[in-house]
Amino acid sequence: MRGCPCWRTNDRVGFDLSADGLALVFFAGTISFRIAPMSWHNVKLIFFREVRDQLRDRRTLFMIAVLPLLLYPLLGMSFFQLSQFLHKNASHILVLAQGALPDAPALIEGQHFSPALFDTDDGRNLLEVQVLQFADRSKESRDLSAEEYAQQAVRLKVYDAVVLFPPDFVEKLARRRTNAGTEEQDKVPFPDIIHNSAQEKSQFAYIRVNEVMNRWMDLIGKESLERQHVSPESIRPFQIHSTDVADEGHKDAAIWSKILPFVLMIWALTGAFYPAVDLCAGEKERGTLETLLSSPARRSEIVCGKLLTVMTFSMATSLLNLTFMAVTGLFIIQQVGSAAHGALSLGPPPITSALWMLVALVPISAFFSALCLAVAAFARSTKEGQYYLMPLILIIMPLMVLPMTPGVELDLGKSLIPVTGVVLLLRAALEGNSVQAIPFIAPVTIVTLIACWLAIRWAVDQFNKESVLFREGERLDVGMWLRRLVRDREDTPSPAEAIFCGIMILTIKFILDLRFSAVQTGVLTFDTFTVMVLVLQLTAILTPALLMAVMLTGRPDRTLLLKWPRWLSLPAVVVLAVALNPLLGLLQKVVVALYPVTMLPELEQLTKAISSGTVWQGILLIAVVPAICEELAFRGFILSGLRRTGGKWRAIILTAIFFGVTHSIVQQSLLATLTGCVIGYIAIQTGSIVPCMLFHFTNNALTVALSSTTVDWNSISATASAWHCGWLATFAQEGWGLLFQIDKQGESEYTLIAQILGAVVAAALLYWLSRQRYVHTKEETHRETVRDLAAAEART
Amino acid sequence: MIHARRLTKTYADLRRGKFVAIDGVSFDAEPGQVYGLLGPNGAGKTTVLRILSTVLRPTEGTATVNGRDVVLEPEQVRRQIGFMSANTAVYDRMTAWEMVEYFGRLYGLADDALHARMEEIFTRLKMNDIRNRLGGKMSTGMKQKVSIARAIVHDPPVIIFDEATAGLDVLVARSLLQAVAELRDQGKCVIFSTHIMREAEKLCDRIAIMHRGTILAEGTLAELRARHREHDLEELFFQLISEHDARVPVLADE
Repeated sequence: MRGCPCWRTNDRVGFDLSADGLALVFFAGTISFRIAPMSWHNVKLIFFREVRDQLRDRRTLFMIAVLPLLLYPLLGMSFFQLSQFLHKNASHILVLAQGALPDAPALIEGQHFSPALFDTDDGRNLLEVQVLQFADRSKESRDLSAEEYAQQAVRLKVYDAVVLFPPDFVEKLARRRTNAGTEEQDKVPFPDIIHNSAQEKSQFAYIRVNEVMNRWMDLIGKESLERQHVSPESIRPFQIHSTDVADEGHKDAAIWSKILPFVLMIWALTGAFYPAVDLCAGEKERGTLETLLSSPARRSEIVCGKLLTVMTFSMATSLLNLTFMAVTGLFIIQQVGSAAHGALSLGPPPITSALWMLVALVPISAFFSALCLAVAAFARSTKEGQYYLMPLILIIMPLMVLPMTPGVELDLGKSLIPVTGVVLLLRAALEGNSVQAIPFIAPVTIVTLIACWLAIRWAVDQFNKESVLFREGERLDVGMWLRRLVRDREDTPSPAEAIFCGIMILTIKFILDLRFSAVQTGVLTFDTFTVMVLVLQLTAILTPALLMAVMLTGRPDRTLLLKWPRWLSLPAVVVLAVALNPLLGLLQKVVVALYPVTMLPELEQLTKAISSGTVWQGILLIAVVPAICEELAFRGFILSGLRRTGGKWRAIILTAIFFGVTHSIVQQSLLATLTGCVIGYIAIQTGSIVPCMLFHFTNNALTVALSSTTVDWNSISATASAWHCGWLATFAQEGWGLLFQIDKQGESEYTLIAQILGAVVAAALLYWLSRQRYVHTKEETHRETVRDLAAAEART
Repeated sequence: MIHARRLTKTYADLRRGKFVAIDGVSFDAEPGQVYGLLGPNGAGKTTVLRILSTVLRPTEGTATVNGRDVVLEPEQVRRQIGFMSANTAVYDRMTAWEMVEYFGRLYGLADDALHARMEEIFTRLKMNDIRNRLGGKMSTGMKQKVSIARAIVHDPPVIIFDEATAGLDVLVARSLLQAVAELRDQGKCVIFSTHIMREAEKLCDRIAIMHRGTILAEGTLAELRARHREHDLEELFFQLISEHDARVPVLADE
């Protein structure tokens, strides 16, 4: 250690998060995610440097501070200008008469409609009227009928709208008013308003004229009644009055609660994106990234420092924009409000809303910042980085717009959707419904934290990838690339190939689903169902996985885990599947309570179709075929590929998510994802696909058996006693009572005892599985060695 | 001090299939020595040095720096080295002083010790007049000085210069070479990669001649001359390379 005095000053390592700090523990401690050890000293250093660097950049300062300062007043000004422009536009109307026009009550007075038909003079001046007798039309249009003439006048934009009066309008109207003609042929022919709805100006004219004509008609009616000495009030004997109990403050809050969260989020995203691109792609471009990477700062520290910087700017942008927007907005509202005599009065947002928004902004900024950072780290240059903004917005936008859809309220289901949950919670708080929102704070917080954590992990992963950090431009040649894939194949697929396979499966399945719903009409029969299942399983799931395994890997047998396991694992997984069944049943109830099933008719049809076959056919279709096809695809190809990322649990969970998404009903997907985790664990611990298939089979077969009424413990006990197996009969009867009960719908369900028993047995079996030695991939071994060494380093 | 054993790095490359950037490179460098990696562009020098600086991870093989493994303990390795290459730029929006101070702090130096050390380095490298100049406004030579200061601020036992003289004018290059010689005299282990024969001849105690990812010959200048019976390094270099290319035919698509 000669010539290295710095060592002694080096023991400032900060505190180590890996030991016991931020450890989110899932699935009762089986999986624990940890944030890599890092020194806050370095994070702080990097953070302050990056912030200073950004503040010295004129573009950034302009974007976050100057732009909003100028933007909103400018927008406000142009709003005023435009609104004036819109109001002053008068519509040109032609009244085309064929014969006399009615004179009492008057419709037209000079160049306008009669003042009696308007509330204000302004409204009257907006309609400029010209009257033309059809007989006086110009010579060129002699051949046209009145309708054609009117239509041409609108089409050629000579007039915005034409009111066409039929020839004998006045006479028939007069007869109807004196009650002379009540016959069908005496019906008053209708005046026609000819307009073009594809043209905004014509559409406006139509709306205005239509109102005038209606008022005129009302006047005629009123006069007729008066002539017959009936009070016009008898038509509308009373008026309906409405009382709004919302006080002024809440009414304002309702509007603000829709606008503010959206604005907050949009600017948080935009404010995160540009600094993120500069901090990652910009540094790559300027060549300073390698300088930083060769310093002792860990990748996780670099990411954390940069993340905090991006977050700071994201929050600052969001807050500054909100402030400037609010100031300008209030000013405009005051102006417009006073002009419209308080018709559009909107008070300032309640002061507490600022506080709520601050609270919500922190996790949302963290999430967006981490996302932007990961995306920006991938870009080679700032130019490439800018291209990624649009896809990112397209992905996040639905999550922000969903809460703004009318009728969407905060409930447990929606609080579990990232971003959406926060927006809904914020909305509830802004509306003054804080008390109702309290129960949802916990789920929203947990989901948001998990989302943030995943995004941060993604960003750190990006920074750990050489291929991302030193990406070089290469000419893309698809043929060459495909040939390379086959030529340089390794024993097991790469993570990218695994993910591609997953996406392939989802895409093919989506297309097939669409085809089926298009082709299938009427009642779903068992035969159609059989074809659907077979086609889906074979073409969408099995084929891509098998093809890719054969073409892209050197050892398809190792990829697909085609190996005989220890024989003990086979009964073990069967028992595990049986033991987990009551728990899954319970979970399913919880899931359905959270997200009520909306596809009931389709589901019922499906159930009916399945039950129209025999149990064995059902088991073959629902248990045997999927167990083979899905396992080869998911636990075979996809899991083997994803394991090469080095994280065993990450691979299991990602595979399970793909597996879950393949199930088309959301409620089913959630359960399948959980089950997928268990099967993934079995695959890794046993190293063979056989136990996975067996577990999958048992699990699905149980579902079929339990849902069909044919399996009945009582009938089994009857059969057993017929066979003179007294003990089996007793067991069956006792067992039935112990494990099953009949629920309100008359279906059998597991008892609490069955659930507890199942949990205990399952836990024991999972423990047994965890004691099995499993074969590590090269990447997993590496990760574990590094972790052990780091732990040893931390101890010394 | 540095022990590289059978370092191999392969990349997936569309055109050339599995592209082997370096193939089984082994060497040892000791303190008080300038170890030269001499080779044409694309020989794999930068890849070797990036592996030593832990920025890249070897596909196979190991290397230790001062007893620490580059794959298993990358953070510890980075504390032992000062790394400077044509790819390690200085920050545009930071002054020379801020830049060196920032990296000193990342190496964990306490402020007192750091500032004393920085005063010493700034004086020695004659950088006091550019102390408060922003990186974006510096000339190439100034930037190079800042980079050296940044690489040696923590007084590391190992210093790596990767094509450090590339793009420098004669004067700046000369002063850089002087700085390298000084570091060697202080007992540092210096690794110096270049494609310029004269620099290697003048400066390096041991030279490894690299070509196409492998080391063709290795030894002190005298040993190399004696072994290959050629006094002129440039001639020796061409001789080795053409022998190698004759043995291993060039791939058609390259």
